[in-house]
Amino acid sequence: MGRAIVITSGKGGVGKTTTAANIGSALAQLGKSVVVVDADIGLRNLDVVMGLENRIVYHLVDVVRGKCTVAKALIKDRRLENLWLLPASQTDDKDSVTPDDMKKLVCELRATHDFVVIDCPAGIEQGFKNAIAGADEAIVVATPEVSSIRDADRVIGLLAAAGIPARLIVNRISPHLVKRGDMLSQADVIEILALELLGTIPLDEHIVATTNKGIPAVLENKSIAAKEFTRVARSLAGLDAGAPVAAPGFFSRLGRALGLSPAPTA
Amino acid sequence: MWNGIKSLITGGRSSREVAKGRLHLVLAHDRSGLEGGKLQEMRQEIAAVIARYVDIDANAVEISIESHSRETQLMVSSPLPARHA
Repeated sequence: MGRAIVITSGKGGVGKTTTAANIGSALAQLGKSVVVVDADIGLRNLDVVMGLENRIVYHLVDVVRGKCTVAKALIKDRRLENLWLLPASQTDDKDSVTPDDMKKLVCELRATHDFVVIDCPAGIEQGFKNAIAGADEAIVVATPEVSSIRDADRVIGLLAAAGIPARLIVNRISPHLVKRGDMLSQADVIEILALELLGTIPLDEHIVATTNKGIPAVLENKSIAAKEFTRVARSLAGLDAGAPVAAPGFFSRLGRALGLSPAPTA
Repeated sequence: MWNGIKSLITGGRSSREVAKGRLHLVLAHDRSGLEGGKLQEMRQEIAAVIARYVDIDANAVEISIESHSRETQLMVSSPLPARHA
């Protein structure tokens, strides 16, 4: 029986879909069989981020309505052997699916795959309730900004009330801005949210480029963000992953080695 | 060092520290479900209750919500006048 992990954040635009695509792909690279599910009914995007938008025939709502089997709606990724996408519908709305529908669907997917990664829509209404319904655990994505952290805190409370254990990914952190005193550090975010840290993804231009191309960054594996996503996936899969630390820049490492600057508080 | 100079120039905390302080306050209120205005109403009522028992300056009663590690506490503090027996 596989594990169902929902990627959620409350606030939109913080990197849920990118995180879902990359963690899903990285788990598949590790040899796990993975389905990534786009639970954002009406505003689907996981398909374009993964570059699978031209191959959609059936979608999640078709499965729920019994128009096709789950197997028929799954799109197999051609780059990775063990990766599938269950796309959302672009024409229906969030009310066309109920939490019970999602529970049933996720349960079915878990029976045949090691990991079911669910990309949750922004907000805390029906779409959120649907997305978390079948999940065993949650990853809360937050960027180091006041609004994102505030929304993450709300979501963490709702997940706790639903009995779903959650861990944190701090996304788009800029070590340079943190050092300058103009960005919350990962340690600040952990302290405020009081949640276990799963990973810290640095702000990385490669993510913009790979998203433009519809290639999850971990497939190119050139960027530091991709390496961190892979590390998170290793940790999820129970493999030796090392501690989640945003890599300090060369000069700050050099400075510390020479005793010129204090060790980061992160 | 640069941060030190900058805080001397700007005369205060870094935007990171400001954000952290604001978040602590906002989250304490969010977690308690109490809006700031309601909290002030409650402050006045509590001050009135205290004033029934001891001779205090109702305006000196302070109320705040603090939240650490997801545990939220309501803090009320009131100076008490010295008793001249």
